Amino acid sequence: MTKIVVPGELLASTPQRVEFAFVEDGKTYSSVLGLFDEANLRLVPLEGTYMPTQYDIVVGVVDEVKFAGYNVDISSPYKGFLSARDSRFEYDLGDILSAKVREVDEVKNVNLEGARKLEGGEIVEISPAKVPRVIGKKNSMLDMIRAATRTEILVGKNGRIWIKGGNTALAARTILKIEKEAHTTGLTERISTLLKEEISR
Amino acid sequence: MEKPKLIIDGKRCDGRAMDELRPLKVQAGVLNKADGSAYVEWGNNKILAAVYGPRECIPRHDASPYRAVIHCRYLMAPFSTLDEHGRSGPNRRSIEISKVLKEIFENVVMTEKFPKTAIDIFIEVLQADGGTRCAGVTAAAVALADAGIPMRDLPCAVASGKIDKEVAVDFGKLEDNYGDGDMPIAIAPRNGGILLLQLDGMFTKDELRKAVELAYGVLPKINALQVEALRTHYAVKKDELDFRGD
Repeated sequence: MTKIVVPGELLASTPQRVEFAFVEDGKTYSSVLGLFDEANLRLVPLEGTYMPTQYDIVVGVVDEVKFAGYNVDISSPYKGFLSARDSRFEYDLGDILSAKVREVDEVKNVNLEGARKLEGGEIVEISPAKVPRVIGKKNSMLDMIRAATRTEILVGKNGRIWIKGGNTALAARTILKIEKEAHTTGLTERISTLLKEEISR
Repeated sequence: MEKPKLIIDGKRCDGRAMDELRPLKVQAGVLNKADGSAYVEWGNNKILAAVYGPRECIPRHDASPYRAVIHCRYLMAPFSTLDEHGRSGPNRRSIEISKVLKEIFENVVMTEKFPKTAIDIFIEVLQADGGTRCAGVTAAAVALADAGIPMRDLPCAVASGKIDKEVAVDFGKLEDNYGDGDMPIAIAPRNGGILLLQLDGMFTKDELRKAVELAYGVLPKINALQVEALRTHYAVKKDELDFRGD
């Protein structure tokens, strides 16, 4: 059983290691508004901004060009930094790129690496909390959208999704629908029928 | 204006008992562009709270490398009361209220998780009827939770006070203006810790104790409404809950 929990709500009367929860006086409490799975002791937040973590793939916009590198907006409270020494290409202000988070230090300086410029295509922004749903179990959802719309899709952990080629509009619409219905069951089937209907039209 | 009769046949001027709340309605997620928002109607109070962040701290020199800073702005709309309010922006009163509300939230929000950032809370009083700072706390707490900001608790607040040597809870405008003292109190309902206690007027020890007791009597009801507002905001999705695979 899963239930909606609010900040400060009791999750367990024993100390448990649960992400987004905290322990006080030997009891576990939720710190966020989220869905709690009592059986598996798993808490998934319903809202929240993107916090960069090592090895995340993100889609960013070049915000500032400096001598040493680039400041990249990664739709997070923190700017990403791409060192000019580590990047094989030169970027201009406003360029869109995908990159991997190399490391995040204790004061949240975010270093990026392996950047690639994304040219053409469109970007859809969704809530970072819903990104795993767009990807699906073992990429199932993403593969389905890719196959049906014949698009190239790159999903950033920060909630920015880059779509290129094929039926871009349909892919974008589908992704926004997934974001809206992220908490419902049988979503994969519904999306699959929706895509089939739209394609046959 | 002459002082109106505040207690008539053992009841208060609006017919309430001493320990009775005014009708309270809480709604979460009312604004599209804010990260989190809430709307509270409490008696004739109408209050909108919006939360943005954690986001880049502006001005930059306010930022801390250890924790997020909380900026809080409480403002009464110029049309919120019969007298004109705050046409020229924040005044001495609203600056003080903003400060004490900020300190409430600094105690419950897990600011240490977001170094170098700011969390901005805006509390707009659209219509005022006494106890607006308490309604503001109640709304802002829901807005913070709606923004997905980690907190140790969901604070709530109420004002109790004194009318002609009688202690009562949840003061309206008349009681606020003509009563003998009021005492806004905000708590963290999980452990009952006091986050705010202000007092205006003269209370005896017993009256103070009674006023705090009355407030503690109604605060759980306010908290329950906050929780319900958050749950119903996501209730559409509640029947068909599911966990995504990784």
